[in-house]
Amino acid sequence: MSFDRRLLTHMNWGLILFTAILFGVGVLNLYSASAFMSEDGIALGTFYQKQLVWGLVGMGGMLLAMVIDYRHWRSLAWPMFILTVILLAMVPIAGKTIYGAKRWISLGFFNLQPSEIAKIAAILIAAKLLARNAKPLEWKEFLQVLAVCAVPAVFILKQPDLGTTLNMLLNVAGIILFRGLSKGVFRTCLVAFPVCLPVAWMFMKDYQRQRVLTFLNPGDDPLGAGYHIIQSQIAIGSGQLWGKGFLGGTQSQLRFLPEKHTDFAIAVFGEEWGFVGCVILLVLFCCFLFAIFNTARDAKDRFGSFLAAGVFFYFFWQFLINMGMVMGLMPVVGIPLPFISYGGSATLVNFCLIGLVLNVSMRRFVFKTN
Amino acid sequence: MSIHLDPEGYQPPKLGLILLQGLVLLLFFIFFLRFWFLQIHKGEDFARQARENRLRQERVYAPRGLLRARGGELLAENRPAYALGLVREDCKDVASTIAQVSHWTGIPVEKLWAKYFKDKPRIKPFEPLVLAPDIPFELLARIEANRMLWPGLEIVVRPRRYYLQGPLFAHILGYVAEANEKELEENSDLALGDAVGKQGLEIVLEDRLRGNKGLRQLEVDVMGRDFNRKMVVEPEAGESIALSIDYNLQRIASEAFGAQAGGLVVMNPDTGKLLALVTQPSFDNNAFAAGLSNKQWAQLRDDPFFPLQNRVIQSVYPPGSVWKVLMAGLLLKEGIDPKETVFCNGEYHLGKSVFRCWKKHGHGKIDMVRALVESCDVYFYDMINRIGIDKVEAFARAYGFGEQTGLGLPHERSGLVPSREWKRKRFGEPWQGGETVITAIGQGFTLVSPVQVSCFIASLMNGGKLLQPSLLMDGEPVVRRMTPLDADQRALLLEAMRQTVEGPHGTAKVLRTKGAILGGKTGTAQVVKLKLKANDERRSFEEMEYWERDHAWMASWGTKGDDRYVVVCMLEHGGHGGSAAGPIVKKVYDYLFDEEKE
Repeated sequence: MSFDRRLLTHMNWGLILFTAILFGVGVLNLYSASAFMSEDGIALGTFYQKQLVWGLVGMGGMLLAMVIDYRHWRSLAWPMFILTVILLAMVPIAGKTIYGAKRWISLGFFNLQPSEIAKIAAILIAAKLLARNAKPLEWKEFLQVLAVCAVPAVFILKQPDLGTTLNMLLNVAGIILFRGLSKGVFRTCLVAFPVCLPVAWMFMKDYQRQRVLTFLNPGDDPLGAGYHIIQSQIAIGSGQLWGKGFLGGTQSQLRFLPEKHTDFAIAVFGEEWGFVGCVILLVLFCCFLFAIFNTARDAKDRFGSFLAAGVFFYFFWQFLINMGMVMGLMPVVGIPLPFISYGGSATLVNFCLIGLVLNVSMRRFVFKTN
Repeated sequence: MSIHLDPEGYQPPKLGLILLQGLVLLLFFIFFLRFWFLQIHKGEDFARQARENRLRQERVYAPRGLLRARGGELLAENRPAYALGLVREDCKDVASTIAQVSHWTGIPVEKLWAKYFKDKPRIKPFEPLVLAPDIPFELLARIEANRMLWPGLEIVVRPRRYYLQGPLFAHILGYVAEANEKELEENSDLALGDAVGKQGLEIVLEDRLRGNKGLRQLEVDVMGRDFNRKMVVEPEAGESIALSIDYNLQRIASEAFGAQAGGLVVMNPDTGKLLALVTQPSFDNNAFAAGLSNKQWAQLRDDPFFPLQNRVIQSVYPPGSVWKVLMAGLLLKEGIDPKETVFCNGEYHLGKSVFRCWKKHGHGKIDMVRALVESCDVYFYDMINRIGIDKVEAFARAYGFGEQTGLGLPHERSGLVPSREWKRKRFGEPWQGGETVITAIGQGFTLVSPVQVSCFIASLMNGGKLLQPSLLMDGEPVVRRMTPLDADQRALLLEAMRQTVEGPHGTAKVLRTKGAILGGKTGTAQVVKLKLKANDERRSFEEMEYWERDHAWMASWGTKGDDRYVVVCMLEHGGHGGSAAGPIVKKVYDYLFDEEKE
């Protein structure tokens, strides 16, 4: 098969542009977040360098995701899904415990985190299952999709990794909403949701309940559980209109800010770039989401469209939950901010998923000629 | 591979597209508003909080003032004490760390947990929470060596008051201890763990000794690591204060008591400055500064010899025959001719009651001076009975009995000068004539403290001034009031006291010191009331139980050249004043008038 120029002309170049900008901003911000004041002046950590390396690895993953026609990916959805479930099942047996959670399988040179692969696999399988017809979703299909996705969800929840479980299930819910459900299912869900809340509360662990309570009243325990929320808001708020300037954030450099490389990275950005910088970043996020939306809209088959929608939700929920958490609008849940937070496998997954969206966008012409 | 296409071509769900666009806009508006709220609306507020986060103001400990004796000998200083603290943020496993601390220090785990939970709300997670306030040096080395294994444990160095002389000055200096809730509340300058005066001069001089804490501004990171220290307010050390107490004298007097309980005052009669203030037995005030265990406290509290009691100011006793000097003064003031005699045949009859003289067969015809020198009871029974209790009360009060001397130590007792009114209020009964009679010789209801007696004796020597005794080198003498006797009358009393020492029949001959002029008056205060009507022989000293034995008094003065002193000694259950208290006082004069001294 010779190279078709149309593959390039139909490419979602906007998505590539915004991805590049966001990744650049993220590395820059990590550079600053890695800096901390020590007795000898400002010292630098190496997180930004690692993030750059992971970006390169991610680009490899992105190319791989692009080169293979996404309809082949569709055929691979089941084998991938089953492999993921097997890996997840192995974690409790052969897994490595880090920070009190068992999430990793050691491959010697690299710690594989099967829950990350599960995010991709879940989007692929949900898109495949939901793309079988165009009718509003009825009970039978709804429960089918739910049952399939519940399998990896239970494993991940047990690790325990509430953030990833939540993200995965919300992505599937997003695709379902995008496709549209029958009135009966929709209404039942509307009623069932509030009923489920107390049940969820019962299943929550003590520290998770504490987070919810702390979110409701952070002043309760300013030095304990409320500390993260209070400090991150102080960091962002103290940036005011113009910010303290690049590398000028005192809250982060003096380490008042917890987890500033990972979940709370946006607070470093907010402190240094101020309201102006934050709004620009927010606009970038929105443009990025719109770029994915364009592909979901312009895709020429349902699977491609649903796949893009799944990726859209993947990013959307992370933006919403992470920023909501850092800015005190939500309880603390360990979900990183795409591109801005440091995280090796998260970066790889982000790029792979963007690769899938690009894949869908560039192959639009295939249908036109047929 | 075959491609399945929708027959009419794929159309994305309309509602789904609207949903996605709506969500993007929602995301934008939620966070636009939130950023605006945090950074613009409340930006100032957060910027201020960020500064406060970063710029920490820290109180800088001001060393507490030193206390020295008259000769410059150090009595109280500050030494570093090592405490073991827990930094919660750095501690991975609080439970096992606390168990380890318990293992090292021997403090029960429950106690450590209790302290942990009590102090937790007051201490930031990056500050050490003190678990064991005082670690002996040997243990310190062991802990230091193993500290790497226990992240979060920190050795905290804090200044601690150290009393170099321990029990010797414990009652004068008192002690400091950790400020309690109330003190922390009353003084915002105090922080948890600060020491404040609780007893003795430490509490009386608290404001002078404490000094002012400095203020240091630190730029800190969250771990409390600081950069750019800057002293904003320099700490001011507390004032160092010199006591008027003569260190060697205090030691000699204290040792002279041996194992006996009692108190001794040495005063300069012209200034009121105290040169010695001994109370025995004593306690080690360092134990209080280090934090007393319940067991130690119970031991001190339940000790039958009451080591916590300052016998010089907090114990009051019947004055015994020492009182006769005051009574003789009253007679002079009331115009009784000192040459007037009373016949003592060994007993005095009042109504149906018989009051005995200590000398069974009597002193015969006796005048005032001889009555003092030989301590005749009948002379005073008779004379004071003529004067009446009302005048006795007024005169005793004029000399400061029944009131605090104000020497500057807490919990001073004022003693008791009985009166008709007091008797009526206290017992609901009228005053009895016999009570006036026994009051004349210092028995009955009257209670005085050794320091009150010192002030009285001093007033005879210093021109009639009733002084406020003082423990400090600085400060002018404070005259509480002028006393009623004139110079001739005072001279006569002093002469009688001199003869008590120098005369052939004097009861205080034990004091005689070569090259010095001394005067004294002994006293024996009954502890167990004798049945006055009973004809029984008195039991001998040895026959009595310790607790029944009489208290022994010796009130004295001595001069040599320009040196003038008042020495008053009180020996609990010591028996007779001259023989029991006398030798102790003699040792004091031997030191004071020692040619070799200096």
